[in-house]
Amino acid sequence: MDATAEQKYNLDVVRWFAVMAVVYLVVGALVGVYIASQLAWPVLNFDSPYLSFGRLRPVHTNAVIFAFGGCTLMATAFYSVQRTCGVRLWSDKMAWFTFWGWNLVIVLAVITLPLGLTQSKEYAELEWPIDILIAVVWVSYMFNFVMTIANRKSSHIYVSNWFFLSMMIMITYLHVVNSLAIPVSMFKSYSIFAGVQDAMIQWWWGHNAVGFYLTAGFLGIMYYFLPKQANRPVYSYRLSVIHFWALSFGYVWLGAHHLQYTALPDWTGSLGAAISLAMIIPSWGGALNGMMTLSGAWDKLRTDYVLRFMIMSLAFYAMSTFEGPVMSIKTVNALSHYTDWTIGHVHSGALGWVAMIGIGALYHLITRCFHTEMYSVKLINLHFWAATIGTVIYVVAMWVSGIMQGLMWRAYDDYGTLAYTFAESVEAMHPYYAMRAVGGAIFLFGAMVMLYNIIMTVRQSMAEGRVEQARTAPLATATA
Amino acid sequence: MNSLSEHLQTNWAAMTTNDWVGTILTVVVFLLILAAYIYALYPKNKEKLEAQRFIPLDDDQLDDGEKHGG
Repeated sequence: MDATAEQKYNLDVVRWFAVMAVVYLVVGALVGVYIASQLAWPVLNFDSPYLSFGRLRPVHTNAVIFAFGGCTLMATAFYSVQRTCGVRLWSDKMAWFTFWGWNLVIVLAVITLPLGLTQSKEYAELEWPIDILIAVVWVSYMFNFVMTIANRKSSHIYVSNWFFLSMMIMITYLHVVNSLAIPVSMFKSYSIFAGVQDAMIQWWWGHNAVGFYLTAGFLGIMYYFLPKQANRPVYSYRLSVIHFWALSFGYVWLGAHHLQYTALPDWTGSLGAAISLAMIIPSWGGALNGMMTLSGAWDKLRTDYVLRFMIMSLAFYAMSTFEGPVMSIKTVNALSHYTDWTIGHVHSGALGWVAMIGIGALYHLITRCFHTEMYSVKLINLHFWAATIGTVIYVVAMWVSGIMQGLMWRAYDDYGTLAYTFAESVEAMHPYYAMRAVGGAIFLFGAMVMLYNIIMTVRQSMAEGRVEQARTAPLATATA
Repeated sequence: MNSLSEHLQTNWAAMTTNDWVGTILTVVVFLLILAAYIYALYPKNKEKLEAQRFIPLDDDQLDDGEKHGG
């Protein structure tokens, strides 16, 4: 029991964010499995507009990215910044404002998106009043984080905090600019950008949401929680510094690679692809830095299931940061774009990298914040295998389906006539869509196991009064 | 004019303000990242930087109010 940490730091808000992150992981994955099943068996639409794929897909993406991802980032950033700076959060009240504000955003998303209220911008669907709320809450998160760093006891700012900061600053900038719109009613607005500029701004946001929110932020998690869980220092601090600066300077250029073969000037797409390829170097440097942290202690993976999640996530990080640049090359993009290959790539990063590093960090956090061991280590192991197998099935299904789609769409006969109709390509997808739904369901099963395990752990902690004991234990003798 | 100089030729007179802002920003970012690489890889900085690796493992000391981190 770490009474010193309990009494010195604000772990309450961390506990709430961590538990809610797991709840949202289950909700987001559940909606994902449902809409994946709709693609394989459209009858599941039940002819209801509220349950249609078009309306539930943004519910899924918002739930997994902003609800699960956001709560995970807020829990881990608030926890690690206090630990690495040796001071309590600058403002407890502001931290609670961030918690309730962020959850309000999520509730509003769950209500408005099925009703069809949307800006129609991918990963930025929420209408303007909610956008303003997001900006205010996000800035409160950033301000509290920055002020905590400003009050720190250590002279150096640890690299995980740099990654979190980079995410906070860039997401503020990206969200505000991409969401600039003219409201015409309470629930309707039009973007101030038009035509190709709108597309460019949208993908400048879209790719940097991946680059800063889902990469830089989760790298912040990796650089703190992996060494902590392995009880070994990160392999090379200098490499982490290079990783940070290369990622921060480089990522913002990549968005144009989403718009190859469009009205966007050709050179812009080429530039996006060139910088994407250059980004393989820092990305792989970072992945190796994480993996090599276990150098000489690989045996820990036999027994430490939380560490397994983290190392597996780095393997997926390396894989998807190689695959993405390859897909951005124009010749490959001509085959891959608009196909399920993109969906496979996204989920290799989202399930394999983001979810697994987040899950590993959450397991670590739960035991530290509730001052108890996990209810069942066997269930963590079960979760690990469900997450890994589910992700692999999902990604393989989408790779095969996507490449087949791309090849069918561009096949033509000696007379220049398309060899397949679009409907024939849709029919050919069916087995892979069913396989994707199965992969997703296995991943969802793992998430539900995690939620059960965490609920039981929290109950166990409450029954034993662990948090209360940590709060009231005399500090001189309390740290066990 | 050989093909390389042809490929690299620019009509400077046609550059707009946006073009100049973009060009200057690109060069500045390139120089900044170069400076970051030199700083991180400069042998004299190795010890100082690598000493920070232990911060997450030493954070219990910070709990007790000790200052560290170089």
